[in-house]
Amino acid sequence: MQGPLIDTLARQGVTRRTFFKYCATLASMMALPPSAGRAMAEAMAAAPAATKRPSVIWLPFQECTGCTESITRSHSPTLEGLIFDAISLDYQETLMAAAGHQAEEALHKAMKDNEGKYLLIVDGSVPLGLDGAYSCIAGKSNLETLKEVAKGAAAIVAMGSCAAFGGIPKANPNPTGAVSVSDVIKDKPIINIPGCPPIPVVMTGVLAHFLTFGSLPELDGKGRPKAFYGETIHDRCYRRPFYDQGKFAKTFDDEGARKGWCLFELGCKGPVTYNACATVKWNGGTSWPVESGHGCLGCSEPDFWDAGGFYKALSMPANPLKMASAAVAAGAVAGVAVSFANRAKKSAAKAGHETTTLADLEK
Amino acid sequence: MTLKDIPVVTLSNGKNESPYTANVLSGNARVLLQEIAEHVRHLLGTGESSAIDLNALPLTPADLDWLHETLGKGEIAITLESEGESTLNETACPGVWWVTHHNEHGAVASRFIEVAFVPELVKAHPEDIKIGLEHLELLISGLS
Repeated sequence: MQGPLIDTLARQGVTRRTFFKYCATLASMMALPPSAGRAMAEAMAAAPAATKRPSVIWLPFQECTGCTESITRSHSPTLEGLIFDAISLDYQETLMAAAGHQAEEALHKAMKDNEGKYLLIVDGSVPLGLDGAYSCIAGKSNLETLKEVAKGAAAIVAMGSCAAFGGIPKANPNPTGAVSVSDVIKDKPIINIPGCPPIPVVMTGVLAHFLTFGSLPELDGKGRPKAFYGETIHDRCYRRPFYDQGKFAKTFDDEGARKGWCLFELGCKGPVTYNACATVKWNGGTSWPVESGHGCLGCSEPDFWDAGGFYKALSMPANPLKMASAAVAAGAVAGVAVSFANRAKKSAAKAGHETTTLADLEK
Repeated sequence: MTLKDIPVVTLSNGKNESPYTANVLSGNARVLLQEIAEHVRHLLGTGESSAIDLNALPLTPADLDWLHETLGKGEIAITLESEGESTLNETACPGVWWVTHHNEHGAVASRFIEVAFVPELVKAHPEDIKIGLEHLELLISGLS
């Protein structure tokens, strides 16, 4: 791994044009102006590839492995994969061949050899209940492990909504006392890459930034890289023109839905969700939730799991959205009444085999 | 409960179209022509090329088709094969290029309108030309 990055890539059969093409697409995904793609390509091509690959330790805590699935099943083999080759992933329980004592040894060796320099990736939340007994690895609670490994890390990447904000484990009533990484670690730079799961290229983008500029990318108020979380889903949604024209789908099978109108009234959280799905898309650019006809759940935002209902329009009062408090109180009372009415209607609809409305889905 | 028990009615529009293909013009493509014209004037005036990221704009698939058809087909069509096909095609307006990058699965990865005498990606890089020259010299020395 010596000489400029472009030479490293060339040895792996990647031409300069392929690399420039990748950078143009990456810039587009990062919502940068088209000219930035060229600048990024020039900088990255010339950047000296590290003589020693930066060490990365990946700790899984209270999680479902969805984040690892997302990252490893991006679309291989790709340039993302090649950039991943530029790091040394020293500990990742799901991927590593070693197990038991050998795995622990690899972890401690990496920590010792790269003290103060390694990048720590965490996916999953940290349970604090029962002294952390809800989730243990090698006889240690996640809390102990996180504190121990974070001590020598240069920076921490909180991968996915669980590590970034507590995620599904933290959902009411939070039985394990789950918290985010930033709730535990206060003295290290933490980059939040939320999403359930996060978009693979966001991870690569952060690494690319690290390799190009040797620093961490600019973060927003919630610790997310601005390049990918700088705009809402709504800002870059291809259905946005219909919102502007006041054309909304009212149910999932009406004329508006068939014509691809805005899903706002069906509960789309796009207007308050900062993520890059609208441009990056999923499954190798195949599609994304709104394109397949379902509103955004807001999975990259804190507390999306308790935000009052996936099918409730944002304009409907719901507690976690903290609108005007008086309106919330009135809405809550009305909501309870409506919920009883809807429950009755739902069972009636079930008995009568009638079309279920959106309100029925809610309660 | 089986799938049939779920009370959802699917209506057919008779054209066998995907229900989520937004085949409606939003009106946003038409105004883009103004911006493209501005970029062309800039190119003529200063020689500087520029680009518009089509994925960054709220355009429906129908808008993109309309824009593509309206700009028309020019004389030059360039294909680049690298990790998926890229096409860099001149439109009927010389200097306005329709650039589409596909990924290795054939899906569109990014889309640009480039306003330039020649798109950046087509030009060979001096570093690569040097390597080519070394190769040529090697061929020559082998022959002599």
